[in-house]
Amino acid sequence: MGFHTDIAMDQFFNVVALGLLLGGTYALVSVGLNLIFGVIRIVNFSQGEFLMLGMYGAYLGYTTMGLDPYAGAFIVVPALTVLGMIIYWLVMRPLQNEPMMQVFASFGLLLLIQNIVLAITGGVGMSMNTPFSQITLTIAGIQFSATRLIILLASMVAAGALGLYLAKTTFGQAIRAVAQDRKAAQLMGINVERTFMWSFGIGTGLAGLAGVLLTPIYTLSPQIGGNFVMAAFAVVVLGGLGSVLGAFVGGFIVGLTEAFAGYYIDPELKHAVIFIVFIAVLLIRPSGLFGQAGAEEVGLREQS
Amino acid sequence: MSNLDLAQSGHMHAGASTKRRATDDIWTVSKELPIFIGVVAAIALAIYLLSGQFFYLNLLTMALLFGGLAVSWNIIGGFGGQFSIAHSVFFAIGAYTAGNLYKHFDISPWISILPAMVLSAAVAAVVSWPVFRLRGPFFAIATMALTEVAIAFAMHWKTVTGGASGLTIPYRAGLENMIFTQRWAYAALFLGYLAATLVVSIVILRSRLGYYLQAVRDNDKAAEASGIPIMRTKLKGMAISAALTGVGGVFFMMYVRIVEPAGLLSLFDVGVKIALIALIGGIGTIYGPLLGALILVPLDYWLRAFIGSAIPGGNLIVLGIILILGSLYMKKGVFGALKQGYAAWRPKR
Repeated sequence: MGFHTDIAMDQFFNVVALGLLLGGTYALVSVGLNLIFGVIRIVNFSQGEFLMLGMYGAYLGYTTMGLDPYAGAFIVVPALTVLGMIIYWLVMRPLQNEPMMQVFASFGLLLLIQNIVLAITGGVGMSMNTPFSQITLTIAGIQFSATRLIILLASMVAAGALGLYLAKTTFGQAIRAVAQDRKAAQLMGINVERTFMWSFGIGTGLAGLAGVLLTPIYTLSPQIGGNFVMAAFAVVVLGGLGSVLGAFVGGFIVGLTEAFAGYYIDPELKHAVIFIVFIAVLLIRPSGLFGQAGAEEVGLREQS
Repeated sequence: MSNLDLAQSGHMHAGASTKRRATDDIWTVSKELPIFIGVVAAIALAIYLLSGQFFYLNLLTMALLFGGLAVSWNIIGGFGGQFSIAHSVFFAIGAYTAGNLYKHFDISPWISILPAMVLSAAVAAVVSWPVFRLRGPFFAIATMALTEVAIAFAMHWKTVTGGASGLTIPYRAGLENMIFTQRWAYAALFLGYLAATLVVSIVILRSRLGYYLQAVRDNDKAAEASGIPIMRTKLKGMAISAALTGVGGVFFMMYVRIVEPAGLLSLFDVGVKIALIALIGGIGTIYGPLLGALILVPLDYWLRAFIGSAIPGGNLIVLGIILILGSLYMKKGVFGALKQGYAAWRPKR
């Protein structure tokens, strides 16, 4: 009897560990989306594609220059920040007051980016082994892969840095001011469009960072972004729009939910469980766990 | 239905202004009728002329199906301004309902139309209710999530959907089974579907619900202040739109006789395509979505055959560019552009 409960407990802790590591991944993916969707309120369905571009960028650096993906991040992340800023300026800025057209346009971007990569790579799955990808650490009898732990660490650093940046720096305060009231911010002399462009760029850059760090774990495919983007939207809504802490904690909640649902219910239905969490949050607490009450009510129309 | 609503509004308001508005409305609906008959007759003629041409007939049939689906989407997406990319889910519900009832219980698909409509509308209402309470873009996100969940369920629930390998139904030709040996009969069937969605669309646009939906779309706060029940309006629009989409699923099931989740629930091939067709044709107009389908379905086929075969994903690259450019420069679609062009050209005469 005691023996069986031991096994059950072991499995339980393994699932918790898996959930935490997955949560770290989701937290990292969501930090960038939190800036784009949570702060500047653009529904960017192509966020997952920037993650995918980050993965392919790291892979490219690795195969052509022998760069370790972690070193490649220093090239890939700035490149994707600039790409995000260009896309914001060309596509999202003209549609500022038309949130529904932004949804369409971001879906067009999704199709465009995904299929350009498909056309170039021919859809062959790629994976790579870095010195880190084989290392596992054993803590209290549970195995952790080093790459997953690095992601967990990176998610903490990214969330912490973004939170500090938004709270302490002048530009971070400008971003928050624009998010709260675009017109008032403009009257205070803030360049709204430039702020939005930078926020969008930082958001896509962070998605790229997540992609780079995920390269040693996942097989690369043009469609891989879709695996994360829905969970990331759930995380941002769950944590509360615009709340960096919320996105961080929300990532772990979604990660743990997915791990438990995958183990104890059915791996095929884990996406369904995330959706149910998403709907439940909208029903019970639409402003999210850490969001300001009423933040979800700030419709896009009033910002015009 | 529109007469009933007019009668109601006549009771509720008093005075001469109401009378004038009522006569305006009757004039518009009756003005709509010749155009409607003309459009349907023109398509019927096209079916007759193409009845020997297997390839073009098939293309026209698919264009009519997607035209009907886009007209249905337009009721909530165009009139109500609530963009859904999850209409593939209601399409799939219709297909699975008809397929299973026909296969396991030998129920005619003509009868299955009713449960398919009810089920689609019910799912639409249950999913939409929590998100319609919020303003902003939550609806679009929720519909994207719904598609993912539907795929997961369809793959999991093998007794109903046949899992990844799909659901096949036996071939028993006959009008009662909605299975025909002649291909033109399917074209006629989908023309009937399109015509039905157009009629519903015309009636709604000229009814109280249509005005409510447009008011909610244009300014929900002002609409609420004017006493329009926002939630009920959006839910009604969504349920009607989903029910009509479900009917499309029933017809599609009997046309292809094999469906699998990956194709039926594909985010792009169905869900986004329906919305894209409406966008290209002209969101919020009656005939815009039909026009969009007549343009986009052949174009999609052509891109698939000539670009997609040479470059993997090449056809989707082109459609992605169309989607971006369309949302940037053609918000009113081809229909809107034609109207604008006509208005610019007319005074010069």
